[in-house]
Amino acid sequence: MGPFGEAYVIGVGMHPVTTQRTSVRELAYVAGSLALADAALGFDRVDCVYNGYRPVEGLISGVALAKEFGLTGVPVLQVENASATGSVAFREAVMAVATGRARVAMALGVAATAGPGFDDAPSPFGKPSMDGLLLPAGLFGMWAVRRMHDVGTTVETYAAIAAKNWNHARLNPTAKRRAAEAVTVEQVLASTPIAHPHTAMMAAARGGGGACAIVADAETARAVAADQGRPLVEVVASELQSERYVPGHVFAGAIVGPPELTRVTARAAYEQAGLGPEDLDLVQVHDAFPIEELVYIEQLGICAEGEADLLVTAGETALGGRIPFSTDGGLIARGHPIGATGLAQVWETTLQLRGEAGARQVDGARIGLLQMMGAGSVCSVQILKRR
Amino acid sequence: MKPFEAGYFEIADDGRPRLWASYSPEADLYYFPQRKVCAVTLGPVESRLLSGAGVLYSWTYVHEDRFGPSTGAFSGYGVGQIDLPEGVRIQARILGRLGDWAIGMPMEIDILALFQDGGPLVDAEGNELVTFCFRPADDA
Repeated sequence: MGPFGEAYVIGVGMHPVTTQRTSVRELAYVAGSLALADAALGFDRVDCVYNGYRPVEGLISGVALAKEFGLTGVPVLQVENASATGSVAFREAVMAVATGRARVAMALGVAATAGPGFDDAPSPFGKPSMDGLLLPAGLFGMWAVRRMHDVGTTVETYAAIAAKNWNHARLNPTAKRRAAEAVTVEQVLASTPIAHPHTAMMAAARGGGGACAIVADAETARAVAADQGRPLVEVVASELQSERYVPGHVFAGAIVGPPELTRVTARAAYEQAGLGPEDLDLVQVHDAFPIEELVYIEQLGICAEGEADLLVTAGETALGGRIPFSTDGGLIARGHPIGATGLAQVWETTLQLRGEAGARQVDGARIGLLQMMGAGSVCSVQILKRR
Repeated sequence: MKPFEAGYFEIADDGRPRLWASYSPEADLYYFPQRKVCAVTLGPVESRLLSGAGVLYSWTYVHEDRFGPSTGAFSGYGVGQIDLPEGVRIQARILGRLGDWAIGMPMEIDILALFQDGGPLVDAEGNELVTFCFRPADDA
């Protein structure tokens, strides 16, 4: 991988996204122990742990969560990067292995089921602050309104992306939103307005959860793959970038930087992997709202700018289409347990590349891209490849 | 009446806010809010006041104060991004109701009163604290 050595995903685990009160220790333990079992390794084989966790007042730190697996003296580091928290925990684990500092690294992301943003806690929004963030629905609402003006995108296209992700989540047992019947564009449009033109069914689903990936060097990965009788999943790119100035740059109040941040980060990731957008079989993105998925289709180079609407309406980004996006339901329907979301993308992509994704399996999937945005802001793009 | 937080704007004699920006002579770029250095050249910047009128780049109307069900009384508000002639894009509350705004329309800066616990937000000396917002220009 790029200037570094190799790194492979050898185990993944997830606790379903939920709003049922569950302790962060339980969420972390379930995800972590499932990943260790998937890798058929004991915790004593783990050389370092990266906990992706946004601490909530009164709850234990991310570092303490590793105690559930035993007290081995392993170095543990808590990392946080807003929505990209799980992605950066994964990246740190990848870098530890790829640079030879560890043979086996654990990336463990978790989000509490209670705290700021939930019904029983004060809202973090709406308080006066000159540099405070706008409600995410508001910022992405402005992206959506501008695109309707520039490209002619319709609210039906935004609703179609949300409905697609809801319907993908029906096939994912770990998803928060699992509708009993197929979700329609009309249902999405008829749900509660949040921030024009967004409705509640277009918004990322809240919830707690846990996700974990075990990353290992080539020798360990080959041994595990042979033992388990499954293909290797290599991390062929891991890029993280922050904002660069663009004309019209919004410094105060914007949650994430300009859409171009995804384009430049993806370009670097493609270069690192020696691949291009035409090589991808499936993609996971930060689809907190459908406008994001629409914009990122273009910024990732899947099609030219202004043409993503056509791909969506032709069903090319749905399961069974040319390049499925958000195959597990994405933030909209799998849910957005902040610290875990990036690692939920790793869970989904790894299962897909192994051919273990069940009813939502992408036929012949060999290469998957994972994109996340973190408020502030950063963009993470990682590419996994079946060997 | 005082700005909610120092360094972002001042209140001019006509009662309207004037935004403080940083200007980079080397890059010929303005930034809001003020920066320590030029974001492009990393060189020095100077404080400048910005125009109080611009053009609406995009807008939305926020119906809910967070994800999911709202638990408190909440009436919604407009938010916009306004392009000023200096090349700066400002994100701010915009006055009006859904249907009042259109991309490209002229906008003017205005004062926005802040409230807390049902009354005006005041500092220790009893000064009412305000922030800035934009509204469609009178001739829009």
